[in-house]
Amino acid sequence: MLTEVFTLRQAEKEARLRDELVELVAHHRRNCPPYDQILAALGAEREPATLADLPWLPVRLFKTRKLASVPDDQVIRVLTSSGTTGDVSRIHLDREAAATQSRMLARTLGTVLGPRRLPMVVVDRSGVVGDRRSYSARGAGALGMVNFGRDHLWLLDADDRPDVAALKDFLARHGDAPFLIFGFTFMVWRYLYEVARDHGLDLSQGILVHSGGWKKLVDQAVDNAEFRRRLGADTGLTRIHNFYGMVEQIGTVFLEGPDGGSLYCPDFADVIIRDPVTWQEAPVGRPGLIEVISNLPTSYPGNVLLTEDLGVVHGVDDGHWPGKRFGVLGRLPRAEARGCSDTYPGGR
Amino acid sequence: MTVRMRFPAGPELPIDEVLPPDGETPLAVGDERIVDFLTLVARRLLAPALARRHPELGSLGFFLRRRELLRAVERLHGALDPQDLAFPRGTVFHIPPANVDTIFVYSWALSALAGNVNVVRVSPRSAAAAETILEVLNDSLAEADPVVARTQRMITYGHDDEVTARLSAACDVRVVWGGDRAVNAVRRHRLAPAARDLTFPDRTSFAALSVAGWAAASPSARQEAVVNFVNDAYWFDQAACSSPRAVFLVGDARRAEAVQTEFVALLGVAARDRGWEVDAAMAVEKRVGVYGLAADGGVTRMAFPDNLVATLDLATPAAAPREWLGTGTFGFVPVAELAGLVSFVRRQDQTLTHFGFEAEELRELARQLGGRGIDRIVPFGAALRFAPIWDGYDLFREFVRLVTVEA
Repeated sequence: MLTEVFTLRQAEKEARLRDELVELVAHHRRNCPPYDQILAALGAEREPATLADLPWLPVRLFKTRKLASVPDDQVIRVLTSSGTTGDVSRIHLDREAAATQSRMLARTLGTVLGPRRLPMVVVDRSGVVGDRRSYSARGAGALGMVNFGRDHLWLLDADDRPDVAALKDFLARHGDAPFLIFGFTFMVWRYLYEVARDHGLDLSQGILVHSGGWKKLVDQAVDNAEFRRRLGADTGLTRIHNFYGMVEQIGTVFLEGPDGGSLYCPDFADVIIRDPVTWQEAPVGRPGLIEVISNLPTSYPGNVLLTEDLGVVHGVDDGHWPGKRFGVLGRLPRAEARGCSDTYPGGR
Repeated sequence: MTVRMRFPAGPELPIDEVLPPDGETPLAVGDERIVDFLTLVARRLLAPALARRHPELGSLGFFLRRRELLRAVERLHGALDPQDLAFPRGTVFHIPPANVDTIFVYSWALSALAGNVNVVRVSPRSAAAAETILEVLNDSLAEADPVVARTQRMITYGHDDEVTARLSAACDVRVVWGGDRAVNAVRRHRLAPAARDLTFPDRTSFAALSVAGWAAASPSARQEAVVNFVNDAYWFDQAACSSPRAVFLVGDARRAEAVQTEFVALLGVAARDRGWEVDAAMAVEKRVGVYGLAADGGVTRMAFPDNLVATLDLATPAAAPREWLGTGTFGFVPVAELAGLVSFVRRQDQTLTHFGFEAEELRELARQLGGRGIDRIVPFGAALRFAPIWDGYDLFREFVRLVTVEA
């Protein structure tokens, strides 16, 4: 598998990224006054010696403050993510940042998809993209991915029922050469896996790219290993790539390797697992909060972000691709306070 | 449209059967039968086993002691002219906050003492202490006069606007706790023209520490002050309306920094010793809150020595946070004198806890504030101690109506 973006061993990556990020931090400090105020208050005046020393922002800050490093008139897109509590991240992209993110996403996924657009099955309904009313992570995810395919089949009808006849028809036309399947993890399981198994469909030429987490599959005792095993055994689908990414670092995805089970960091990105008590970097094998690092964000200070996801590093320079391998373990619960306020959510 | 009867405990009841039938109010102000009942409740709340399990019920028990109740009644009568007579207002509908377990009892008890028929909405989300209180109330009922069960009702219902609307239309006073959102939501339901609201909107609170007073205090007095401050701050995750959000270091600015350093060090130790914890989710919440405040400017330095304590050095009093930033997050700012707070204070500000000041300095501050904000100036450790005068209201007085008879 040829790759342009999974090439650097950890030490070399860290050295390169550190230098680039020191520059980027300085750039954002010059151009984003709120970011500069935060770093000044942190006393972040010494140059960070390592990636782990870089000052991070909590990712939710993009929901509570406007943080942009370009003037408003240069912003061509404001990406939003809907949160569970209704507050929304707002990510400001200028022309250059928008172009860079889509180019680097293409290179990352190109590693597993190859250079050409493949026929594509989207495990969703076509309405999910255009429907502004229910604009969601699902819609945004599908929208970002459809460009990587052609001859799209939207697997679900308007009532979220899989269209088995259309899938059979798609496989008859495209099923004997590589094709792309995209969907959210739990939807792939519920709508594609079960249907393909029950109808004896052959997905062995498929390349599945999926994301979204395992929470909705926990009660069925399906984790990543079981997901891969059953899809392989029952449908022949073995080229399966989970990925982890977020709108606050658009264009950067951490991609499951061909070996399965671990997410890899592209050359322009990295993760650090932090112990949530000491805030120090956790050693391999010890779970903590995931900090994501990427050199892509230039129009907003999103290069170093502390997520609210828990993860663990599986190994370094010891997998299919060089660099860190890690897994996502789940989400930190949202903090709740007691207190006098807000007791009557009735009558919204 | 039914509600769950929590007191007197019973089955689901249609809303129309919750209120006693119209007619004369059967209770008087300071009614002996209510005083007896509250006294019984107080005794049970002060039982050592219970107080150990729920220390906050101990302070409630003290509040409900016979002597305290009679004093409140005497104080009311003492303030009246001879030609004025006090009577219950009628029916009082209480909507207390879900996450401060004991407020509903304070609010209800004063209104019951005033002789009113009461309906209290106990949140379905209420916590263990609330359940314990309801048990105590129900257990005390056997020895009480039957009029108590007939006139005092505590109910639980979900977010049923119809129930709220019905009770709002039927009451003479509606008591709404729970902050701006709760008040605005409840206000959409009309009251009868003669009825009135008693509202408890969002409030914020601060602490004032005298630099000179600190210097004069013995090490043990300092320690005690910090322990009291920790109780004020951490008990309700620093989210209670009277929990201090920032500390004003009042006095010589050159000596303030050393005072702050010592205070923060003692604070971390005291919070840990008292067993308070801040989990990972709350630690992240604090970062979101504090970084956000820093992004707005006005924070010259922020420090996170550990997850329990975060400190923010503020450029000016005006930068002091009024929003909740997460448990154990404290702004610090030096001010030359208490009068320096006057221009900063707003109506929203409720409690100023203090350490190291003379009584006259504090009264002078209150005079300068002129009631434009800060309703309570109380020592460290008293922030959460409920008092019959709250948010600027004399609650007991609000629960009675006056009739004038001139011969």
